[in-house]
Amino acid sequence: MSEPTPLFKVTIDNITVEVPAGTTILNAARQIGGEVAPPAMCYYSKLQGSGGKCRTCLVEVSKGSEKDPRPMPKLVASCRTTVMDGMEVKNITSPKVLDARASVVEFLLINHPLDCPICDQAGECHLQDLSYEHGKEGTRYEFQRRTFHKVDLGDKIQLHMTRCIMCFRCVFTADQLTDKREHGILDRGDHAQIATFIQKNLQNEFIGNVIDVCPVGALTDKTFRFKNRVWFTKPVDAHRNCDNPKCCGEVQLWMRGDEVFRVTARKDEWGEVKEASNGKTGWICNVCRFDKKDAKDWVIEGPSKINRHSVIAQGHYEGVVKPQETLPEVLDGRQPKLLMDIHSVSQVNKPTVELSLLERPAHSTDFK
Amino acid sequence: MGVKLLLEKAHVPNIRSYDVYRREGGYRSVEKALKAMDPASIVEEVKKSGLRGRGGAGFPAGMKWSFIAKPEGVPRHLVCNADESEPGTFKDRYLMEFLPHLLIEGLIVSSFALGSNDTYIYIRGEYAWIVDILEHAINEAKANGWLGKNILGTGFDCEIHVQRGAGAYICGEETALIESLEGKRGNPRIKPPFPAIQGLWMRPTVVNNVETLAAVVPIINMGGDEYAKIGVGKSTGTKLISACGNINKPGVYEIDMTISVEEFIYSNEYCGGIANGKRLKACIPGGSSVPILPANLLLKTAKGETRYMNYESLADGGFATGSMMGSGGFIILDEDQCVVKNTYTLARFYRHESCGQCSPCREGTGWMEKLLQRLENGQGKISDIDLLWNIQSKIEGNTICPLGDAAAWPVAAAIRHFRDEFEWHVTNAQESQVRNFGLAHYADEIHVPVSA
Repeated sequence: MSEPTPLFKVTIDNITVEVPAGTTILNAARQIGGEVAPPAMCYYSKLQGSGGKCRTCLVEVSKGSEKDPRPMPKLVASCRTTVMDGMEVKNITSPKVLDARASVVEFLLINHPLDCPICDQAGECHLQDLSYEHGKEGTRYEFQRRTFHKVDLGDKIQLHMTRCIMCFRCVFTADQLTDKREHGILDRGDHAQIATFIQKNLQNEFIGNVIDVCPVGALTDKTFRFKNRVWFTKPVDAHRNCDNPKCCGEVQLWMRGDEVFRVTARKDEWGEVKEASNGKTGWICNVCRFDKKDAKDWVIEGPSKINRHSVIAQGHYEGVVKPQETLPEVLDGRQPKLLMDIHSVSQVNKPTVELSLLERPAHSTDFK
Repeated sequence: MGVKLLLEKAHVPNIRSYDVYRREGGYRSVEKALKAMDPASIVEEVKKSGLRGRGGAGFPAGMKWSFIAKPEGVPRHLVCNADESEPGTFKDRYLMEFLPHLLIEGLIVSSFALGSNDTYIYIRGEYAWIVDILEHAINEAKANGWLGKNILGTGFDCEIHVQRGAGAYICGEETALIESLEGKRGNPRIKPPFPAIQGLWMRPTVVNNVETLAAVVPIINMGGDEYAKIGVGKSTGTKLISACGNINKPGVYEIDMTISVEEFIYSNEYCGGIANGKRLKACIPGGSSVPILPANLLLKTAKGETRYMNYESLADGGFATGSMMGSGGFIILDEDQCVVKNTYTLARFYRHESCGQCSPCREGTGWMEKLLQRLENGQGKISDIDLLWNIQSKIEGNTICPLGDAAAWPVAAAIRHFRDEFEWHVTNAQESQVRNFGLAHYADEIHVPVSA
């Protein structure tokens, strides 16, 4: 039998926890939870080698360890720094950290289009949360932002590089879940991009997971694009007997009524896929994700638990009391009625144009 | 005439060929090291010599060597960093082009000290012709029994492989170099683990600069203590300086770190003064990443003492009034040069060379370049200068590798010392497009820098 891993005491923002040696500061902080846990855009606990790049999880180590109490000279990436016994870490109690984090948010946003109103990721976007919680108002950037053309990576996944923050998670996913990675980073610096070399389809049966790991709206599910806002759909936990041995078969269905709009892996409170009940990591195969869009394909377990701070929680329907409609009351029992049919007075929005069939936001040229 | 240890034989005709190099006393250090010394005592000599890494950071080489892990049954590697890409630095090119055997000799001794049987020279892709020179020299050394199996009958095997980079500045950072050498994208690794524990192919690795490894040869020949007597304080031995810019005699010079900056610039033995009778305005004393200094702070420290060409004196005053020895790329700007344009050029370089892995460097370098371009073109605002200062302070120290710092320092120093020139580009926008700010007060006797 191997020796048990020794436990290290680490104090983060004045809260002490004991964690096994080899734990990172970030994971120790996640054990404490709440605001003490630094945000992470590129680290993904289920993907080996991820982390260290986005610099949002920087923390100050004010005491190195019991043996060597010297503070670390620079802020360190908590996702890649392991704890030492007696280490003292400052996260939200350090003005230096908050300042550095705010500037990382600013850096991440200077080339981000901020097109949240037309982005499918809105409502479950880590960058949205990050900038809301740690960013500053406004921007000091006065130049044109970097843009790319949208690329279809096969018929199910769309890549919109303009929104990408270069977290490398999708690259690690393809490395670790599929036999052969077919996409990667091209070029370097601020012109680096995620790309397939000479456009290729991503075919692997597990490649759909790149959509789940993407913290922003750079990789989106084409079977769901523009179909609905996530906060209008209702997430339920469901499972099916998937015959793919690597697929855990436990998913989250995003439904409206009986219609399944989208299938994703189940996520934990850090936005990462959960461990499945059979012990597998919760990755799901493309068949479950893209092809099983009928409620009859699934055994529905019940509504997913959604953090009440998430905008998605607004569609929560456990024990919901419907507000009483007051309009008929004040109208003496009459139902409200639209008084004017817009098409009878204006031809600007042509009634023949079916907006829901457009692959992209409507444009004035669609009505010409 | 200063002491010459590395370039002493550089002007002997045909020194590039093995026969001449050997006749001039080459490969003595290999004989001495392999026959009369053991690896531990070589490391000890290098420690005693006080040799500091010549790549830029100035970390003591002997100390670095002693960090290497020695797990049972795991091969160790020595990697020579010849990816010399810092603008203004070209000393390694000179050394490898004219004295290839000196590097090979240093590599054999160092490989023996570190127990590396496969040693690599990772050379900048643009130095294509030097690859041929090095490979020719390696073949000559091998033919004469200095490389290969059982060198000099000591049972020590060593092969030297030359690998060309593909033209990325970032691959001069040791972990990015290792990634590139492994055939991957040259992104710096997150440390720890340090290369001394897990480097090339996750094996213990030491990465040293060309000049550092070449300096091992005189250290072994003369002994560490003797070597340490050359130079001053912690700046021991000799240093190659590649001088360029507006000087009469640009080139590579070997100095023993006891001469003053003024002597180095104006003496006929070295740079020979400013070209065309102009006056000195500013200098970047250690390659493009180190802080730029105005003439007055370059020749004298803030305390009014003479500034010397060595690690300590160049760094005197910290970043507020000093600079760094860096990699020895000595760039002189005369009174006709525009510091704003110079800073913009450097920012453009770092934007282009950022690997794009971590956010502050990827996004910040591009932002700084755009702001500097605007200032240089006379379209900037006064607030841009403060914004630049703020951006650089957010990049520095917050990135994975030192490229972020290297991009931030030149901008910070330019604003720190030449803020009025930047402001002039805003207030006199049209004039700034047709004439230069000139020398202004940058060579005046006492200059108290405005700390921004």
